[in-house]
Amino acid sequence: MSDLNVLDMKLNYGAVWVLARRELLEFWRNKTRLISSLVQGILFLVVFSNGFGFIAPIIGGVQVDQRAFTASGISAIIILFTGIFGGMGVMRDKMFGFMKELIVAPVSRRTLMIGKTLGVGLQTLIQVCIIVFLSLALGYLGFDLSLIWRILLILPVALLASIGIVGMGLTISTRMRDFQSFGLIQTFIVMPMFMLSGAFFSFDTAGILQPVMLINPFTYSVDLFRAVLLGVSSFHVWLDLLVMSIFGIVLILLGARSFSKMEVS
Amino acid sequence: MTENIVEVRNLTKIYEQGNVLAVDNISFDIKKGEIFALLGPNGAGKTTTISILSTLLNPTKGEAMVNLYNVKVSPDQVRKSIGIVFQEPSLDNEMKGRENLELHAILYRMPKGQRKERINEVLKLVDLEDKAETYVKNYSGGMKRRLEIARGLLHRPRMLFLDEPTLGLDPQTRRKIWDKIKELNNDLEVTILITTHYMDEADELADRICIMDHGKIIALDTSENLKKQISGDIIDIQFEKVEDRMKIPRIISLLKEIPSIKNISLEGTTKNQRELLMNLNLPKGMPNISPEMIKTQINQMISDPNRLLIAFKRFPMASQMFLNAPIDMKKRISNLFTDDLLKELPDEIKQEIVKIKSGNYIEEEKDFEPTISISCESGGSCLPEIIQAINNDGLKIKDVNMHAPKLEDVFLHFVGGDIREESSDRVKSIKKRIQMRQLTR
Repeated sequence: MSDLNVLDMKLNYGAVWVLARRELLEFWRNKTRLISSLVQGILFLVVFSNGFGFIAPIIGGVQVDQRAFTASGISAIIILFTGIFGGMGVMRDKMFGFMKELIVAPVSRRTLMIGKTLGVGLQTLIQVCIIVFLSLALGYLGFDLSLIWRILLILPVALLASIGIVGMGLTISTRMRDFQSFGLIQTFIVMPMFMLSGAFFSFDTAGILQPVMLINPFTYSVDLFRAVLLGVSSFHVWLDLLVMSIFGIVLILLGARSFSKMEVS
Repeated sequence: MTENIVEVRNLTKIYEQGNVLAVDNISFDIKKGEIFALLGPNGAGKTTTISILSTLLNPTKGEAMVNLYNVKVSPDQVRKSIGIVFQEPSLDNEMKGRENLELHAILYRMPKGQRKERINEVLKLVDLEDKAETYVKNYSGGMKRRLEIARGLLHRPRMLFLDEPTLGLDPQTRRKIWDKIKELNNDLEVTILITTHYMDEADELADRICIMDHGKIIALDTSENLKKQISGDIIDIQFEKVEDRMKIPRIISLLKEIPSIKNISLEGTTKNQRELLMNLNLPKGMPNISPEMIKTQINQMISDPNRLLIAFKRFPMASQMFLNAPIDMKKRISNLFTDDLLKELPDEIKQEIVKIKSGNYIEEEKDFEPTISISCESGGSCLPEIIQAINNDGLKIKDVNMHAPKLEDVFLHFVGGDIREESSDRVKSIKKRIQMRQLTR
């Protein structure tokens, strides 16, 4: 394509921002989505923390409060859902023709992609905040002064976690040709990553599932969320950070590559 | 004014997927300030050409310059200097009209101070000022189109591409958009490239018309000159109720023998009938099979249900002929089929026969009154010969109309009257052409 020299082109920051703002605006205006994500959050929090109340989760040899355990797991999981399906927004733009307008504009593909990623990234951040504040309001995370810096610290962690996931969404959606494949993505990528991430049960007590969980890159994101929010983790914090960074970089590059190769006509 | 704004040289585009030769070695220029129309049937390569000129697609071979920039070398410069309205809507439905324009302005790096003023200006130009704060999803088709034109003009391009801008719009809206296009061209001196398959649109708007078909340019000139190219007259002949449909293709091949006749096309019939007649068209080398022979063949055929059964199963044409046959013929055939035989028939025919047998059949057949359009050197001297030939064949003429060629006739003359669908024959011929090319390389 004409964007083979994509790396030479300067970023158009105005364009990046306006594209990111578009994602946020759409998220804000779509009230049903906003409400459903709120309700879903409450549902997840209340059902899972009380329904699984009989299991006392153990992380790194320490027994943790079931409710705090669930709250931290769900705030991580919400990144997976929002990130992948946000990245899939490219598919919608392709279907409804808007992608053509973006592609003939005199901005590089890289600008378009970074704008999109930033938009979805910020969107996931808002979702994470919603869950965290809901759990705070429900008292799931306890009340503690250290929570202030924990919550402040969770924001960059969430952003890092979302980069890889958004990259994944972009990679898939630029290659997808129709909406039918959506179900496949849900069954073969989202659900396994979600179930096997240790959000609902601790890695330490997972038994034979442990090797599979080790392969799942999202396990480390969940673990880092626990490390920040609860102060306990199954793996070393640096290992979590390393895996998340590698996963993020690889997938965002993959996403960028398929984005600049995408043909829309 | 004589300067060229677009120069296309030996442009070729092959879609690797499906091995389709969409644009086949075309060259043309567009002069500054003109309205240039690409006219052609579906699948002629118009949209592909526009996509290449707007840098959406890369050409397989050849060069294209827009505003002195090469589309392959400096796509960014090209993009900045053009505005484009795509065939399908490309607006963000979840945003308001004004927001769509704002996003566009930022993407095209318009200075902040200018944006608001400029947006109001283009909104006014397309009469959408009062709808600027409405979500695009609540716009009508025509409003969307107008907003897209406004967006295409926002960054003051010197060249505007319009890909089928009035597709699917009602006549009033079409008229309005035409007026806008003319206004833009006159007042703002924007050069416009428009693709369309509406003849009247090209005739009304364009300074020059380029007729494309099968990826090739088959004619390029002003509307006037194109009409002159098919000199002579057009004679439309409408036949009175034709009972024996076989006669029409036969008379067409007979008339083609008359030396001064250049082209004959059939029109004014439903698609079904047209397909039937096209299939029946006798090969050129053997026009002299007597209708009697065909008649006896068919008579033999329709007195033997087993042969008919095979024919219905194997040849879709046979079923077509049955479904289009006059009612007494249908009754005769229906009586041949006993209940056991009936089971084996294709569904379509079975239903028809059951209907006829049960007496529920309502004759919905309309009179078959085909019209043929003949282009010839001199209408006056041709007409007697034509009428003679038709009378000899026992057909009755209902109406004759002789007129000077319209753009539509030019189009039909160049493109041919057959219905354009991507038939397998065409795909095959394209594949063959591509293979030939690869061999000769």
